[in-house]
Amino acid sequence: MIALGYYALAAALGFAVWATLAAAVAHRTGRADVQCSAERGVVASFALILVAVVALLHAFLTDRFEVNYVYSYSSAAQPVRYKLAALWGGQAGSLLFWVAILGGMAALMIRANRRRNRALMPIATAVVAGTMSFFLLLCAFVENPFELGPPRPDGVGLNPQLKNYWMLIHPPTLYLGYVGFTIPFAFAIAALVTRRTDDVWFRTTRRWTLAAWFFLGAGILLGAYWAYIELGWGGYWAWDPVENASLMPWLTGTAFLHSVMIQEKKGMLKVWNVLLVILTFALSIFGTFLTRSGIISSVHSFATSGIGPAFAVFLGIVFFGSLALLVLRLEDLRSAARLESLLSRESTFLFNNMVLVGIAACVLLLTTFPILSEWVTSRKVTMGPPIFNLVNVPWALVLLFLAGVGPLIAWRKATASHLKRQFTVPLLVGGWVTLAALVLDVRRCTAALGGLFRSFVRLDVVGALEHVQTFYAPLAFGIGAFVLATVAVEFHRGVRLRRHRHGETAARALAMLLWTQKRRYGGYIVHAGIVVIFFGIAGSSAYRVEHVAELSPGEAAQVAGYTLRYEGARLEVEDDHASTVVELSLFDEGRFLGYLEAEQRQHPHFVYPQLREAFERALERRGADPASYTQAVREVYARIAALAREVGREVHTPSTEVAIRASFSPLRPTRFAEDVYVIPLWTDPDTQRASFRIFVHPLVNLIWLGGILAALGAVVCVLPDLRERARLGVAREAERRAVA
Amino acid sequence: MRWPEAALPALAALALSAGALAAERESEYSRAIETIRCDCGCHPQSVADCACGRAAEMRREIAAQIDQGRSAEEVIAAYVARHGEQIRIVPEARGFSLVAWLGPLVLLPVAAWLVVAVLRRWRRRVEPALPALDPDDPYLARVERELEGS
Repeated sequence: MIALGYYALAAALGFAVWATLAAAVAHRTGRADVQCSAERGVVASFALILVAVVALLHAFLTDRFEVNYVYSYSSAAQPVRYKLAALWGGQAGSLLFWVAILGGMAALMIRANRRRNRALMPIATAVVAGTMSFFLLLCAFVENPFELGPPRPDGVGLNPQLKNYWMLIHPPTLYLGYVGFTIPFAFAIAALVTRRTDDVWFRTTRRWTLAAWFFLGAGILLGAYWAYIELGWGGYWAWDPVENASLMPWLTGTAFLHSVMIQEKKGMLKVWNVLLVILTFALSIFGTFLTRSGIISSVHSFATSGIGPAFAVFLGIVFFGSLALLVLRLEDLRSAARLESLLSRESTFLFNNMVLVGIAACVLLLTTFPILSEWVTSRKVTMGPPIFNLVNVPWALVLLFLAGVGPLIAWRKATASHLKRQFTVPLLVGGWVTLAALVLDVRRCTAALGGLFRSFVRLDVVGALEHVQTFYAPLAFGIGAFVLATVAVEFHRGVRLRRHRHGETAARALAMLLWTQKRRYGGYIVHAGIVVIFFGIAGSSAYRVEHVAELSPGEAAQVAGYTLRYEGARLEVEDDHASTVVELSLFDEGRFLGYLEAEQRQHPHFVYPQLREAFERALERRGADPASYTQAVREVYARIAALAREVGREVHTPSTEVAIRASFSPLRPTRFAEDVYVIPLWTDPDTQRASFRIFVHPLVNLIWLGGILAALGAVVCVLPDLRERARLGVAREAERRAVA
Repeated sequence: MRWPEAALPALAALALSAGALAAERESEYSRAIETIRCDCGCHPQSVADCACGRAAEMRREIAAQIDQGRSAEEVIAAYVARHGEQIRIVPEARGFSLVAWLGPLVLLPVAAWLVVAVLRRWRRRVEPALPALDPDDPYLARVERELEGS
């Protein structure tokens, strides 16, 4: 099977290269049979990639530790689901997985367009097959997952932090997003090359773009959730280069989804839209490059190797090649841009694009700033989360505000009376919420005002900015409430109109509204979801309470109105780790809420037989006499310590399982969506004295709830729409006539 | 309260002798741990925020130095001298680093100005032949209303 996988990869590369060349020839000569051959080449390549994937999974399941990749990311004791997920646990497998998804999408693209878009397809096929060739080249020659080493009895195993349910869904979701932008990019390039730069290319790829955007966004949120529950530092977003890498294409993709509407309605912004697609794809590749090359040292780059230069070359070709093509075609894309009023939907969309691309640019600047700084001043600097928060939040607040303004302003021209009618209620709601948020936190706000004034007097810019930060959260709540109110007004108006016209019940009118205008009302739901996410972020970062407590069994700590009583600790062995489990009982104003269990795990490296032996002995005693069981687990700990001294390096990997208790009780509305989050720091095995880091995160669960809401909205947007199909038909017909 | 375990007795002693002094030490301490980066090698987090065991060790080191009567600035300077500028969680806002601090904030108004300029240019392209519409014209308001309803 291993040899089969190896040769399948090589053959897949051959077919992909063939498909690229044949499609290019088909474009030049216009021969349909050559194009047909190219498309079959892509499908054949995809089938062979699947063979390679199956071969690698087979090697994982049958514990073929002579394969270096299997040795590094699996072990005999590893549960089957993690043996399968280890496919994307490291560098080589991730690349194979990436190209497998791309192959699948390419096959889907070919199937969906087998009778349509014949003029665009040759170049689109060439672009996709070319991208596949590049990744297959990496898989076959630079990072081959089937590389063999000496025979080994057992493997190192997956990093314990990756052994988590979310490992099974977060990376595939994120990859679907990254890879998905390849198809719109391919069609954009095809439109440029064939000079068919009208509506067809983006109407054809509208659902591809939406799907890629959806998966990338979902992947980002799943990653945040994973970090929150698994990495155990008490946060969900650290502005890590790899997180930023996924955020940037999502931002430019969001900008594209909006600005393309202006092209649809008014035929404007053609160059800008192509540019956004190119940027989004280039940033997706850049993200994969950051993740995979470890150029900026980061926690996610579990694997690092020398594929950086190859990626840099590919990225350069993609980005500068596309830009050059765009410049060559500028004449074709010239559109009669006209604007009747500065107060119009068109201009809010332009501002929306400016902010989204601006945030992406800021994140790019700050992420790569350590490299820049080293070039310019030859001093290394660290870009920690504080600077990202400080400079990005003002941008984000402007964006949030525009999300409320955009949908309510009419196309072409908004009149004064129209504006007054639309905005009175939302502005009042937003104003009141801002005021309430300021008053509820009046002490901090007045202190910040004082600090701000003093900083101005001393001309201390950074100091002033830090005080301004205090107002970010109240503003976020106020602006968010404003946006929610605009969404509510829109829904209310739509429902009232349908009830009036069709005599429908409120529920039916709402359902019909969603069904008949999926894009519009689905979009509003996405906006509402994003606002809820902002609420969660603002609440959990501005009002979080942190407390470090050292307790003996029976003692209690008070945090933000909660009482946490430490009940005691016990030793356990399970699966592949030994752990110290601490138990606390949680009370809210005297009311018992439940028990919390947190763990500090030690994963012994089973390549050392003495550790394996002690571990298995402890595992056998589980459930038997508690004293002898505990004694056996202590023996595991003792051997880890002794062996580490002996061999002079770590022989285990630690990990932490935090305890989280969310509150959704209607009895305590002020605690709605709040988490109590306990990180165990250390435990003395003799006295059972233990230390904890306790966080209270207000509103944090709104981030996940908002994500679900936004996802539902996106699903509504992407459902098949008859009117949309009709528009695509009209665009195609127009193009056909223009060509004829 | 982020005072680590090891320094508690020292803090208690200080508190007994002079409450104000203890509060001042406490603020020096939190300033130091919020500025210095944890050198555990994970993604950059300040010593105050990082959850790893190394951060706890560093908190104890820093607390001990603060207890010896050093100011936050002195402690930070000592760390920078030993580990280089990158031991700060964010660079100081001077020299080239100002680009990172102020660049994004300056970019926002500049970009907004650019967009407004583009919009103005577009507006001028509208044929002047069109009569100026009175926004409060009742007929126009009705058309708007009906357009919206459709």
